[in-house]
Amino acid sequence: MKKIVYYQSIAVLGLLLLGCDKALDVLPDNRAQANSPAAITELLVTAYPQGNYMAFCESMSDNVGENYGAPTDKPENTKPYFWEEPTVREEDSPERYWSSCYTAIATANHALEIIQQLGDTKDYAAQKGEALLARAYAHFMLVNLFSKSYDQASAGTDLGIPYVTEPEKVVFGKYTRGTVQSVYENIEKDILAGLPLITNQAYEVPRYHFNKSAAYAFATRFYLFKREPAKAIEYANLVFPDGNFLSNMRPWLTTYANSTVNEFEALYTRSTDKSNLLLCETNSYWARNYNGYRYSFTSEIFNEIYGSNPTGGDWIYGNRTFVASNIVYFIPKFREHFVRININASIGDGYTILPLFTTEEALLNRAEAYTLLQQYTLAIKDLNVFFSARIANYDPAKHTLTVAKLQQYFQTNNTFGACLQTILDCKRAEFVHEGMRWFDIRRYDFPIQHLTTTGEQFTLAAGDPRRVMQLPQEAAKLAELPLNPR
Amino acid sequence: MSLLLRKASCFFNLLCFASKYGVLFFWLNALIVAFSFVSAHTVQAQNADQQKQTVSGKVISQSNSQPLPGVSISVKGTVRGMVTDMTGAYTIEVASGEILVFSFIGYNTIEVSVGKQTEVNITLVEDITTLNGITVISDGYQNVNNRNFTGSAARVKADDIKIDGVVDANRMMQGRVAGVSVQNVSGTFGAAPKIRVRGATSISGDNKPLWVVDGIVLEDVVNVSADQLSTGNPNTLLGSSVAGLNVNDIESFNILRDAAATALYGARAKDGVIVITTKKGKVGTPIISYSGNFSSSLKPTYGSYNIMNSRDQMAVYAEMERKGWLNYADVSRAADGGVYRKMYDLISNYDATTNQFGLANTQEAKAGFLSRYAQANTNWFDILFHNSFIQEHSLSMQSGTEASQFYVSGSYYQDNGWTIADNVKRYTANMRANFNINKKLTLGLTTVGSIRDQRVPGTLERKENPVEGSYDRDFDINPYSYAINTSRTLTAYDENGNRESFTRNFAPFNILNEVENNYMQIKQVDLKLQGDVSYKITKDINYNFVGAVRYVKSSSEQNVRENSNLANAFRAAASSTIRQANRFLYTDPDNPDAQPIVVLPRGGFYNRTENQLISYYLRNQLSWNSSFSTLHAVTVTAAQEIRNADRQNAFNNGYGYQFERGGVPFTDYRIIKQLLEGNFNYFGMGQTYERYASYFANAKYTFRDKYIFSATGRMDGSNRLGASRQARWLPTWNVSGAWNVDMEPFMKNRAYLDFLTIRASYGLTANTGNATNSSLVLKNVSTRRPYLDEIESAIRIDALENSELTWEKQYELNVGISTGLFKRLTITADFYQRKQFDLISAIRTSGIGGEILKTANYANMKSKGLDLSIGVSILKGDLLNWSSNLIFSYTKNEITNLRNTPNIFDLVKPEGGATLGGPVRGLFSIPYAQLESSSGSPLFTNEEGVISGNVYLQSQEVGQLKYEGSVDPTITGGFNNTFSYKNISLNIFITYQAGNKIRLSPVFKNRYTDLDAMPREFLDRWTLAGDEKATSIPSILDARYFSRLSSAYPYNNYNYSSARVVNGDYVRLRSIVLAYKLPTTFLQTIGFKTASISLTGSNLWLIYSDRRLEGQDPEFFAAGGVALPVPKQVVASLKLGF
Repeated sequence: MKKIVYYQSIAVLGLLLLGCDKALDVLPDNRAQANSPAAITELLVTAYPQGNYMAFCESMSDNVGENYGAPTDKPENTKPYFWEEPTVREEDSPERYWSSCYTAIATANHALEIIQQLGDTKDYAAQKGEALLARAYAHFMLVNLFSKSYDQASAGTDLGIPYVTEPEKVVFGKYTRGTVQSVYENIEKDILAGLPLITNQAYEVPRYHFNKSAAYAFATRFYLFKREPAKAIEYANLVFPDGNFLSNMRPWLTTYANSTVNEFEALYTRSTDKSNLLLCETNSYWARNYNGYRYSFTSEIFNEIYGSNPTGGDWIYGNRTFVASNIVYFIPKFREHFVRININASIGDGYTILPLFTTEEALLNRAEAYTLLQQYTLAIKDLNVFFSARIANYDPAKHTLTVAKLQQYFQTNNTFGACLQTILDCKRAEFVHEGMRWFDIRRYDFPIQHLTTTGEQFTLAAGDPRRVMQLPQEAAKLAELPLNPR
Repeated sequence: MSLLLRKASCFFNLLCFASKYGVLFFWLNALIVAFSFVSAHTVQAQNADQQKQTVSGKVISQSNSQPLPGVSISVKGTVRGMVTDMTGAYTIEVASGEILVFSFIGYNTIEVSVGKQTEVNITLVEDITTLNGITVISDGYQNVNNRNFTGSAARVKADDIKIDGVVDANRMMQGRVAGVSVQNVSGTFGAAPKIRVRGATSISGDNKPLWVVDGIVLEDVVNVSADQLSTGNPNTLLGSSVAGLNVNDIESFNILRDAAATALYGARAKDGVIVITTKKGKVGTPIISYSGNFSSSLKPTYGSYNIMNSRDQMAVYAEMERKGWLNYADVSRAADGGVYRKMYDLISNYDATTNQFGLANTQEAKAGFLSRYAQANTNWFDILFHNSFIQEHSLSMQSGTEASQFYVSGSYYQDNGWTIADNVKRYTANMRANFNINKKLTLGLTTVGSIRDQRVPGTLERKENPVEGSYDRDFDINPYSYAINTSRTLTAYDENGNRESFTRNFAPFNILNEVENNYMQIKQVDLKLQGDVSYKITKDINYNFVGAVRYVKSSSEQNVRENSNLANAFRAAASSTIRQANRFLYTDPDNPDAQPIVVLPRGGFYNRTENQLISYYLRNQLSWNSSFSTLHAVTVTAAQEIRNADRQNAFNNGYGYQFERGGVPFTDYRIIKQLLEGNFNYFGMGQTYERYASYFANAKYTFRDKYIFSATGRMDGSNRLGASRQARWLPTWNVSGAWNVDMEPFMKNRAYLDFLTIRASYGLTANTGNATNSSLVLKNVSTRRPYLDEIESAIRIDALENSELTWEKQYELNVGISTGLFKRLTITADFYQRKQFDLISAIRTSGIGGEILKTANYANMKSKGLDLSIGVSILKGDLLNWSSNLIFSYTKNEITNLRNTPNIFDLVKPEGGATLGGPVRGLFSIPYAQLESSSGSPLFTNEEGVISGNVYLQSQEVGQLKYEGSVDPTITGGFNNTFSYKNISLNIFITYQAGNKIRLSPVFKNRYTDLDAMPREFLDRWTLAGDEKATSIPSILDARYFSRLSSAYPYNNYNYSSARVVNGDYVRLRSIVLAYKLPTTFLQTIGFKTASISLTGSNLWLIYSDRRLEGQDPEFFAAGGVALPVPKQVVASLKLGF
């Protein structure tokens, strides 16, 4: 009797615990559940880095000089000008960009894990494709800022950045840097796996997602950076099904030319602008500061970039370049979206919309790839498409570029050099304020100089280790990652 | 009831519901069988002596007719004996003619000779000479004679600590109980004070003690964290659930401090437990009591504050004008303006009919205009405050027979407002019935309800602005803040007696108009139903069931009428300059070159917030209570309980509500568009769900009433940590013992010693921390993009899974001693040492996992302290009595492991921050260096170690900061003296605290306007080069110098510098009470049983505080919003008993 009672009560106690355990399954709040294709699509909206690389990339590049009248003297701008590590971790700092990339990666990884758990069925193919590309993109940007540029000879030994493929479930995850080679291989694997799965129908606002064009534009950039120009061309050809770049370019000669500052700002990062293949909202004050920082676009640099070009015509850019009261030159590319913390508050968070991939980049990347393959005719053909949309009062008769014109302009018979230089100049002219110049400076390792108003000169020579940004110190310490050599 | 059942079944779901109850009865069965086996044995042993008869009965206390558990009953001259059970009942075998001795510490011993009778009921009379050293401690689950209580607990009777006029039970505790510190960070009705039992135990958690009312855990309607208490935000007024209790219904408070005392609350008891026991009906003739309080809060006066009069203020404005601040161009375009603004408006206002300007632009005319304001000396306290009238009526009726007892009460509280902007009414009702159905079964049913209707000034949430180092609250119209921050040159009325407006937010502003037209109405209904069942299964085994449901609904409506400054600010668009500067206008992003336009053309705002709480509580408890002769007594208790609390918070903002047009809304669609484009919603709703399930068992063994051992084990489960099943369960335990030394034979003949007990306990307690991510937490958001057609609904990672997440825990060792000497003196002292571990705190990671700042259980803390209370009866006579009571608590905590990375602002703000090696909230300062000799602006040692006015407040370089001390006092207490002569008594109660630092109000700014009031210390400010050697009060900056500061904020930094920190020590005359009890002989002739009148003065005198506080209350955070300091109050009270 006693025994029965004993067992009975144990069994019953167990049941009771189990029953209440079930009652405790109620979630403590209205947290979201990602368990359907639609929900995973929503999750992937945040799989893009919501940090901005433009402030420090511009500041490190030769697109800026010292504007003594500009009051905004902030470490995220001043330190990179001297290729030093910023001491801040706020918006627009490398550390913020680092963590926002990894947040995007974690989001993609969670989406992939959930898809895996749900059986990895066809229903989730589009989401899987987007997650893979988003993951590849964030890693790609990180490796191109915090590691050496891809160089086949040394990529196998150059320090990479942690390539994360699993969601982190403990407080301190363990990571290693790998090599540039291994990171590129992982990126390539993800791109190749993701590309065929992408469909534009999966997206509510396709321009904010890896739509097909954006995905191919990414692949173009990837293979160009990986020095595989043939593949870059292959993917560039896919960016637009009809191959027509011109009709998808920014309307500098038409709409832009007649716009006011405010209108221009509103147009440039709008999803209706067909050139914006991929847009991303970032927590950033770049829209407020790009024409207010001490080290910013100056009249000298304006003249250097927009002064002349091989076509003999005038760049249209000068037409919409303005001078702020603090003598900073600027093209009104960005408009801050200020989200107040409360409807009546005067403080809040600033957002800047970034064009991550554009038609112009894909076109110029193809031109560059052709150049690398020494197919100058095709390269110049692409350049002529570009110029036809960027030269004021463009007249094909007068402004069409030829090899002869190029050689004459650069006073050289080195067609390769002249052609590449022209492409890099076009990129520089097109992407002022957008941070793209820094990647070209890294890739081609050409020296640049920074001056101060007091006459000091600072040079970033070829091969200078400062071309590779240092890992965020604390992150490196906490994850026990080796730092970049200095 | 059917609704209740439906809700309940929803909660448990059918399966769990059925299994639980089915299962419970099996379990009960099992226990009953097991227990009856044991009891059968004991009965057999006792039956050996056949010639004796069985006597049974009940022992009650004379003072309150309550049963006395634990009374020792012995047969004189033998070793046979018994102890009464929980209900005061006993059964004993006696032979006829033997004498029963009933003894209980704190009561006079009674001897009864037994004849033939089988029932002997005893009423024990309290031995008043032992003072209040002996009490019955209630831990909410059971009542224990405190001589047998092994934990550290304090019991105070509500009547002893009640201060007439204080309606919130929270505040009654201040200075009354050792180990409890109460800081009145706001005195507004409903705002909870910062209350701590033995100091803080968590770095990121609430640190609030658990409140238990009649055995039921009292859930908060909204969770207001410790740091939020001092924000002055509207939700702080819902922070105190206890505010709904009528203090006249409270019988006693039991404060459970250590692991043993709080054992039965295990996993939520880390921060101590406060158990409130309410009154019950008593057996006897009906008693009707009335208590009425009539009080007045005294208007503050400028005498106690340090604010410039209007003449000095105007002189300062003249200096500001010279320094280029109050020039026409700037002032007339600014959003806010006072007398200068008014003057310039008149100068530029041309009246075509009279062909004149409002004011001639000449020196004489200007001086004439300003002179009226220089002489105004407006007394804002007079205008915004009044000596309020507060009335509180409470009526209670009780009656009872052996079979049933009732207690019914109702109360009404009305405060017509200390300020012109607030008032409150509260109604409470309490009905409690107890039925003794038969000797085995008793039932209890309680219904408690309260209704609150409160008006406070309209207020928005406070914002932290770490860039400038300030807190922002738009449209703040808190009368107290207004009075101390508004220049006395401004006038509320013009020469003709009409209300005079100045400018705020580009719109006319008059404070009287504003409090009438912008106000919040808070309404709350709180209802609790509770049922208790007690069933005596056998002589020794008792089964208890407690079940309760509580429903609280509160709404707060902000009414912003069309005439208010807030509504008019949305319409201020008189000129293109104003249109560009007014941030309440709308610029359509689709039309980038358009001028900002008004989107609130008519009406005001009707903004509604609702908070709702539904909570359930169920407990099944079995206890076995047995004594084997007088030598051994054993109590075993096992229980299971379930708690859940569902909260809902909803808001709905109405735009364009026309208060003066019959309440018809007139909404411009563009205001909604503006909201959505700004990523705001005009309505929303959120829910949280708390679930707890617990099991525990406690065993206690008492030997000869001398040695007591107790051990408890408990298992708690909670859903708060998230979906993971591993993290949710936590076992806690404790062991404790007590030794009643005075019972030892070697102590017997020491006449001076009334009693002496030594206690010790050790155990583990816990609480769920502020993290819910034992599994991945995803949040729905919408993307922050500027165009509506680009906005997408998104899900983002709110927190990554932390598979290592667990509860916050604490080991506590407590050693205590209680003694009574000479029948005059009682001393209770408890020393404790605590080790908190697995505390939740933010920790920085590499960010590679996707989250750079995580919340994780890794921080550790240790604390130690002393709780001391001394009671002494200094004079004891038939006519004259003087008793004195000293409460002293000391607590000190130190963070022993923390890897957070606070920035400067986190540490220098008045609430302080957590740092390794420091207390849980330590106050730091920017080291003040000196005034700059050229401008008189302050200089500091900044984050780079450079002497500069510019300190980057968001910098994480905090090494150079000066540590000032703890924000929380290390010493708190009270000193109470009661003198009585015949029927007159005088009570003087003093509270004190020490050991903390306070940051002075932030009165310094880079630039001032003609609205600002300045403290008198500005008279000593730097004015000429060389002054920096004599003063540390910075200058008023020159406008040209100011423009060079750009993004530096030296004056805000000054507010956070070492020059603006004072000691928090104070001694306060908390209350003084003169009472007169009408003589009984007289009362009988008019039909009253008792009557007394009393006069109370509360909060009248701050006896000691740091002189540099200059009128700033050391407890109060002048945060604006709804926060008001605790006023000085005079109360007349009448108490009648029929």
